[in-house]
Amino acid sequence: MNILRVEKLSKSFGGLRAVDSVSLELARGEILGVIGPNGAGKTTLFSMIAGSLTPTSGSVYLQERRVSGLPANRVVRAGVVRTHQIVRPFNNLTVLENVMVAAMFGAVARGLQPRAVALEALSFVGLADRAQQYPHGLTLVGRKRLELARALATQPQALLLDEVIAGLNPVEAIEMTKLIRVIRDQRSISIIIIEHILAALMSISDRVAVLDYGKKIAEGKPAEVVKNPLVIEAYLGEPQKTGSESTSRSDGGPAQ
Amino acid sequence: MNAIRRWMPEWLSPTALGLFAGAVAALHFLPRAVELSPYDHNQITLAFVFIAAALAWNWLGGFVGQVSFGHSAMFGVGGFVAARLILTATALPFWLTWLAGGAIAGLYALAWGHPTLRLRGPYFSIATIGVGEATRLLLTYWTQFTGGVSGLMLPINPDLKYSLYWYGLYFLALVAAASYVLRHSRLGLGLLAIKSDVDAAADVGVGVVFCQDLVLFLSGAVLGVAGGFYASYFSFIEPNDMFGFDRSISFVLMAVIGGVGTVFGPVLGAIVFVLLRQFLIASYPQLYLGLYGVLLIVVVLFEPLGLSGLIFRLTRRLRTLRAAR
Repeated sequence: MNILRVEKLSKSFGGLRAVDSVSLELARGEILGVIGPNGAGKTTLFSMIAGSLTPTSGSVYLQERRVSGLPANRVVRAGVVRTHQIVRPFNNLTVLENVMVAAMFGAVARGLQPRAVALEALSFVGLADRAQQYPHGLTLVGRKRLELARALATQPQALLLDEVIAGLNPVEAIEMTKLIRVIRDQRSISIIIIEHILAALMSISDRVAVLDYGKKIAEGKPAEVVKNPLVIEAYLGEPQKTGSESTSRSDGGPAQ
Repeated sequence: MNAIRRWMPEWLSPTALGLFAGAVAALHFLPRAVELSPYDHNQITLAFVFIAAALAWNWLGGFVGQVSFGHSAMFGVGGFVAARLILTATALPFWLTWLAGGAIAGLYALAWGHPTLRLRGPYFSIATIGVGEATRLLLTYWTQFTGGVSGLMLPINPDLKYSLYWYGLYFLALVAAASYVLRHSRLGLGLLAIKSDVDAAADVGVGVVFCQDLVLFLSGAVLGVAGGFYASYFSFIEPNDMFGFDRSISFVLMAVIGGVGTVFGPVLGAIVFVLLRQFLIASYPQLYLGLYGVLLIVVVLFEPLGLSGLIFRLTRRLRTLRAAR
C-alpha cells in the first residue's frame, strides 16, 4: 500500500521545464532516495509535493487523497512535511518555541500538548538541553537537527528530507543517518530523501530514483541504479566530452 | 492561591498580573485622589487612547513585521462610523457606536489587507501609504457621510468628556491585556514565525493568510474603536485630521520609540510621544515634525528596539555589575 503517490508532476519556469512529468511512489515504511546533478529539479519536486510551489501539471496523493493544489500549511496538516536544504530556523524564537510552532499548527491530532510534543521531538533529535537557547547559538548540525525536530513535531506520515546530511562532518553524518533510520523504524514515518552524498544515501535508501534535467531517468535498488549507464552519464558526462557538459550543469539552476 | 495558579496559564506570571492590576487601580483612583486640572485630565484620557492604538499597530507592525503606514485609515473609518451613528441613531449608547466603528474599521482593513498582506517588507508598507491616502481622499469627497472638509459636529456633553477618562482607561487595559495574551498565545507564536520566515512557517503548518488577516482585522478594529472614542472626545471630526499621513506616522513612531515587536514597548513610546509633542508644539511649532524625524533616525540607528531595548540593556548591565561586586 502506497502512502504517497506522485503522478506525472511537472513544473515550468517560463520556457524551462524544471520538473518534467515525474512519477514516484512511496511505500509505507520505505526510505526512497532521490539523487541527481545540481539543477536536476529535486528541490523543485519537493516544493511541489509540500505545497509551497503549485505544479504546472500532475498530482500528488497522500493515501489516495489528493493533496496537490492545497496550500503548504494544509499539506502539512494532511501529513506531508519537508525540511529545507538551507536550514531555516525562526531566529526570533527559542529552540523549543521553534518546535512548538510546528506542534501547534502542523499536527492534525487535537488535544496533544504542544509543549510535550515539542520537548519529545527535541530529545529525540538530541537537542533537549538546548531547548531554551536561540537557534543562532547552534552549530550547523544542531540547526539541521532542529529542522528535523520541527518537521517531526507535525506528526507526519511522509517526511521529505532535503540534504540533511550534506555539510556535516563524517561522524555527524553517520549519526544523522542513524537518526533517519530510527525515524522510519520507530515512528513508522515514510521518508523521501534528497542527498548529494551518494554513499550516505545509498546506505539508507530502500530504493533510489534519479533525476536529470527534470526527468526521472532511473529507479530501483541502490546497487542497480549506480550501475545504470544513464546515471553514470548524468553524473560524469559522456566518456568523449567530459568537462563542458558537467560544468554547465553544476551552476545550480532553478531547483535551488 | 494554588487554585488560582492552576487556573492561570503557565506563561502568565503573577508578578506581571499584580503590576498590571495595580497600575489599572492606581489610574482608576488617580483623578479622585489628586486634583487634576481639566487640561491634564483630558490629556491623560487622550493618551490612553493613543497608547491603545500604538499597541494595536504593533500587533501587525511588531509581531508580524508588516509595517503599516496607513493605520489612520481605520482610525478615521471607525471615527466617522461612530460619529454618524451618534448623529442618526441617538438612542444608541455611545460605546456601542465605538464598537460598531471598530467592527466596520476591522472589515475595511480586511478589504484592502487581504490582497496586500501577501506583499512583504517595503512593498506592503508602500501599499499601505497608498491605502491611507486613497481613504483620506475618498472620504473627504464623500460629503454626505463625512461632511467633507468641514467635518461633523457632535452634540457636546461636558459630563461625558469627564467620564471618558475611565472608558479610555479600561479600553487601554483591555488592549494591553490582549497584547500580552496575543504574544503568548498560539496565534502569537505563529505570527513571530511568519515574521521570521513566511515560507518556513507555512511549511510547518502555519496558516499564513488566516493568521495575518485575523491580526489585521483585530488591529484595525482597535484603531476603529480608538477613532470612535476620539470623535466622542472632541465632539468634532474632519477627514484631514482623522486620515492625515502624520497620524499614520504617529502610530509608527510610538511603536518605534518604545520598541517594535515588544509587548509593552508601545506604551512607553506613546507616553514619550504625547509628552514630547506637547513640549515641541509649544516650544518649536515649526520644527516639531522635523525633530520627530531626527528622533526616528536616532532610535533606528542606535537602538532598534527603542526604549525597551535601552531598558533591557541597562538592567542587564546593572545585573552584571552587581554580580561582579
